[in-house]
Amino acid sequence: MAARSSILAKTVSTPVILIGILLIVALVALLVKSGPFNQTVIDIFIRVVLVVGLYVFIGNSGVISFGHIGFTCLGAYATAWLTIPPPMKKMALPGLPDIILNAKLPFAPAIVLAAIFAGVCALVFGKILMRLSGIAASIATFAMLALINQVYSNWERVTGATSSVVGIPINRSIWPYAICAFVVVIIAYLYAISRSGLALRSARDEATAAAASGIDIPRERLIAFTLSGVIMGLGGALYAHSVGVVTPDTFYLGLTFISLSMLVVGGMNSLSGAVLGVVILSTIIQILRWFEKGVPIGGTTLTIPNGLQEIAIGIVMIVILMYRPSGLTKNRELVWRGWPFRGLFGGA
Amino acid sequence: MSPTLTADSVSVSFEGLRALSKVNLDVPRSRITGLIGPNGAGKTTLVNVLTGFQVPSEGHVILDGERLGCLPPHKIRRRGVARTFQSGRLFSDLSVLDNLEVTGIGLGLQRKEAASRAAEMLEWVGIAHLAERTAGGLPYTDERRVAIGRALMMEPHYLLLDEPAAGMSAEEAAQLASLIKRIIAEKKCGVLLIEHNIGLVLNICDDIHVLDSGEIIDCGSPAAIKASEKVRHAYMGTQADAVGEIL
Repeated sequence: MAARSSILAKTVSTPVILIGILLIVALVALLVKSGPFNQTVIDIFIRVVLVVGLYVFIGNSGVISFGHIGFTCLGAYATAWLTIPPPMKKMALPGLPDIILNAKLPFAPAIVLAAIFAGVCALVFGKILMRLSGIAASIATFAMLALINQVYSNWERVTGATSSVVGIPINRSIWPYAICAFVVVIIAYLYAISRSGLALRSARDEATAAAASGIDIPRERLIAFTLSGVIMGLGGALYAHSVGVVTPDTFYLGLTFISLSMLVVGGMNSLSGAVLGVVILSTIIQILRWFEKGVPIGGTTLTIPNGLQEIAIGIVMIVILMYRPSGLTKNRELVWRGWPFRGLFGGA
Repeated sequence: MSPTLTADSVSVSFEGLRALSKVNLDVPRSRITGLIGPNGAGKTTLVNVLTGFQVPSEGHVILDGERLGCLPPHKIRRRGVARTFQSGRLFSDLSVLDNLEVTGIGLGLQRKEAASRAAEMLEWVGIAHLAERTAGGLPYTDERRVAIGRALMMEPHYLLLDEPAAGMSAEEAAQLASLIKRIIAEKKCGVLLIEHNIGLVLNICDDIHVLDSGEIIDCGSPAAIKASEKVRHAYMGTQADAVGEIL
């Protein structure tokens, strides 16, 4: 029998290809040099972070979560707490503890702390939720989303309730966002090939046999849930710094819908699916946005009604679920099998 | 006392229906213990109790002299009690090698170590050529052998086989019999064999227990079971012809 090459050597082409695709997106933005387009590309990188975060839990465990955007909310507010200039904070959010009221952290430590905060919350929620499985677990995550949203919508002195929290320093360079997206892709890849990742995917396939193989399913799920909570929190923090404003409803059903659609369209069980889902659906969304504003064709301007983007995304998702339920990637990973593109999609 | 896996007066009720009633069973190491009985007799329920998938309403499972209490299945597997399933239950999206490797991981190994142990085990079972195949698409008999290889990872002390020969031809069943004998000879674990293939059971088991309607109605050597009037009676109707032919 031929010596089996290490898992790393066999599969490392996947994150390399995915980061390559994202680099191309970044380079396009640099070449176009337009402010709004720059913002669009930043949005794409943030969505990559969010959808890859969803993939880490959903893809590996097979448990659909409707609640992960709750962690995004936690991350976004956490970075707001840490970075808004203290005088503004004392006015808007007087209920914060003194140490946070007086803090004025730079971008990098703030987003890292925000991600960790979301991860700790995910650990606490997960400790309870990961005892459930299947649809019960999914509904419980949805309840968690509603719970977080309600707390942040009503805790006036700490979150400003439903009013916008402003004054978050805006970072307009695409590179911090791109680098976070790259790092998140690498983390998700490393988790997927880790012991916990493999154990969790076996439990996704066959929970009974996994338990009979010595696998502690709630524990492996909790690891993935916490890690994905960290990534979702990071995505929220990045979002906050990309627009400078947060409200609780930014991180609720709309964002849950769009990020889940991207994962479903790409292929829930593969990292490549998560990244490609974002790139493809973001492209569609961007084209529809242009049409909503009006595109001159020949002598006339073609304009489509507002709101058509969401409708189009919904239709794309339904069509994919009907005709290609395992997503555009068929739940496989992009792998390099020599030039040119021989068997681009490898094993699961 | 030599080490055994024991069901001590185990009873299980499902919503008032008694699936097992004060069942006593010993599975000693290095021996093959057979468990036969008509469909619905409670054989799989007993395996579920012994592996932690079913909590008994009364009685205990005793592993090498120690009561197991309500340990979850993964902890019982880590204590050295492994099983296979009637329906195979392989991790269908994973390769054959990964099916075994992930069991090594569940039992505490690092990936590299688990992979090399998995490869060794495939070699031992004689299915090394299937290593890279996706488990989902395997033929029936190969599926069973992968399941047995998976259950043998990290040398369990007890192996519970739930109808491993179902659907096999005579020749395939003979191969399975020699594999089970090798498991006893080389791995020294105790095997509990649940089978409808009475010929196989009579041929390779050291002791046989007969379960009917949730009760052990007889136990003894293959010769004694062959001669048992009660067993003949229990099988009447369901498998009278088959048993008659063999007995």
